[in-house]
Amino acid sequence: MLSNIGNTLLFLNILLGISIIYLSLQNLKNRKVLISKSIYHICLFQSTFIIICFFTLVTAFIISDFSIITVYQNSHSLKPFLYKVSGTWGNHEGSLLLWVIILTIFSFLFLLYNKHHAKNYRIYSLIVQNVLILGFLFFLLFNSNPFSIILPIPKEGLGLNPILQDPALAIHPPLLYVGFVGSSIYFSAAVASLLTNYSGKLFAKSIKTWVLVSWTFQTLGILTGSIWAYYELGWGGFWFWDPVENASLLPWFAMSALLHSLIVLERRNLLYFWVIILCLLTFILSVTGTFLVRSGILNSVHTFANDPSRGIYILIFLSLMIFVSVLLFFNKFKNSSYNLNSNSKETFILINNWFMMFYLITVLMGTVYPIFTEVLTDHKVSVGPPFYNTVIIPIVVLFLLFMSVGPQTGWIKNKSYNLNLLLKILIGSILINFCIVYLFKEYSLLSNFIIISAVFLVISSLIDLYKSYKNLKIDTPRIVSHLAFGFLILFIGINYNFSLEKDFNLKLGEKKNFENYSVEFKDLKLQDFKNYKAVIGEFKINNFKENSNQSLYPEIRIYENPSTITYEASIRSGILKDYYITMSNIDRSDYYNIKFQKKPFMMWIWISVIFISVGGFLRLYKNAKKNY
Amino acid sequence: MRTKVIIFFILINFNVVNAITFSVDSNKILKNLRCLICQGQSVADSNSDFAQTIKIVVKDQINDGKSEKEIYDFLIEKYGEWIVYKPPFNKVNFVLWLFPYIALVSGGVIIFLFLKKRDNH
Repeated sequence: MLSNIGNTLLFLNILLGISIIYLSLQNLKNRKVLISKSIYHICLFQSTFIIICFFTLVTAFIISDFSIITVYQNSHSLKPFLYKVSGTWGNHEGSLLLWVIILTIFSFLFLLYNKHHAKNYRIYSLIVQNVLILGFLFFLLFNSNPFSIILPIPKEGLGLNPILQDPALAIHPPLLYVGFVGSSIYFSAAVASLLTNYSGKLFAKSIKTWVLVSWTFQTLGILTGSIWAYYELGWGGFWFWDPVENASLLPWFAMSALLHSLIVLERRNLLYFWVIILCLLTFILSVTGTFLVRSGILNSVHTFANDPSRGIYILIFLSLMIFVSVLLFFNKFKNSSYNLNSNSKETFILINNWFMMFYLITVLMGTVYPIFTEVLTDHKVSVGPPFYNTVIIPIVVLFLLFMSVGPQTGWIKNKSYNLNLLLKILIGSILINFCIVYLFKEYSLLSNFIIISAVFLVISSLIDLYKSYKNLKIDTPRIVSHLAFGFLILFIGINYNFSLEKDFNLKLGEKKNFENYSVEFKDLKLQDFKNYKAVIGEFKINNFKENSNQSLYPEIRIYENPSTITYEASIRSGILKDYYITMSNIDRSDYYNIKFQKKPFMMWIWISVIFISVGGFLRLYKNAKKNY
Repeated sequence: MRTKVIIFFILINFNVVNAITFSVDSNKILKNLRCLICQGQSVADSNSDFAQTIKIVVKDQINDGKSEKEIYDFLIEKYGEWIVYKPPFNKVNFVLWLFPYIALVSGGVIIFLFLKKRDNH
């Protein structure tokens, strides 16, 4: 039943998509200034249908309708309600439906909220966006149909992968998709802009909000992903430079570059073609990421859903997109004259873009290089954290310094630098670094530079904040994001360099001493839960220096549907540091392998990222207030 | 005077903590090794049999007084480059290592030329 409703709605949406394209083409021919009402109506229907379609699938998951393959494969009647719902997008088919929803809703909203822009430009955006929608709808209906049925109807589902049963991961895909897929709308707008020569400030104004929305949500999406990795994957890190993580980071770099250069386009009507490249690039990278993840071409810790036949379709779609964009771009590209001073805000924004492109290229290179070596030379290589850390970290130091100076410069031509002040900030940063290194009693040359430059950015942003309050010219959103970014790098630097990590084997009742700590294995018990059994250990951590005691309870969980064993870390988060313990059994032995970690300022890494996106929300709020 | 102050602080910074140890850090090595039977996990983070074996091998090698590089070379010879997360710089991987820097430098040159062209206007 539900399957029929879903299929019908998907099919209707294909028809609606085609009719929107047809009507839009008709509409281009007439001379009216306004877009015909019928297009609005069809777009509204399109959005409504796809949302109903989505809720049909959600319902199927909630009532555990196992006649639908997707539900059968990814759900179980005993699963908690939240994970039944989040199971909807915790698989390939469902998440692709989510993808189409965002494409469709953004298409409608873009049409709705850009009434004061040129008609042709809006109509072309709508057409391109609907071509994308159709492309994905066909893929959904004929390759990855979430409503396919299975006969005979199974009595029970196979269950959702236990490590996906997690609140952070329940909201991770929707957040990330608003970012990922949201970038489609400025891809379409960029194509439309090239086709209709609708360039410059007006173009910048029309896509500004959308870039901001996608950037902000992408940031939050990446955050929830790392939080999940931190406490679910049980290795105590939050970023492994894994291909799937990189796939979410690549569009983020492109968006961040776009976010900045768009300001130049809006204010000074410069860099139009560069902005277009970034618009096209962002969505192309999003689709590339999806291709890499869904095709299973890469070996990743997050590979839960892949199938080569999907890869081929996405690859063809991707190649077409790239081909058309490149063709169109070079057709329309013309060298324009410009007026840019080397000492101005514009130049600093270019420098931001320069670094963003460097990060992007490095990460892209690292992600796809193994594929090339394997195909071309039959040589399997791994590119992991040590590569990225070696290449990227030293450059971040330089980047942070530019980032500290840049925002204070003026447009067109900067008057002068307050060298005196910069020097004072530098001395301050070095002093603070000295204290940090002294406090943690560890040392490495590079970490010094990272901490100094991060503190440099933090102090500069704080001074910026103070000054702007005095002049009543407050640009809070930017300062909040930049300040938070400074803190983020600072905390990551401290966390990376000053974590304590111990790996040892213990038997029940034993105690291990090291540095200022002791870890005691107090208790072990077996417990039954609704959908799993758990072996729970109790560990007492004694910190001699602070004279404090804490108990942690790591678990080994045995799930039955599907039957899997997972190792649950026990984490005690504190303001200054997190304690992190995982345990795992050792075959044919009473001993358990224990990993103990002390991670300083973990919580502040999350908070910093939240504030980076708070900056985005503040900007959206400010823009909205200005316009109404 | 001011420069002297800065130099002073920098010197302090780089000298005051003498916690530099030259011993081989086994955890660092294990983090740089891929667990070959897992999905994208390092040996340090994995509990698999393979990871346990490699952990013992690495510890033995450290006790034998092998250097970090010697241990990597040994493992690469045995399991191929797939096992190390930091690809060695050689005739297959030089593009990977050099390309980001080439991109960085050319980006800088492009911006420089872009600005210079304007100054000649």
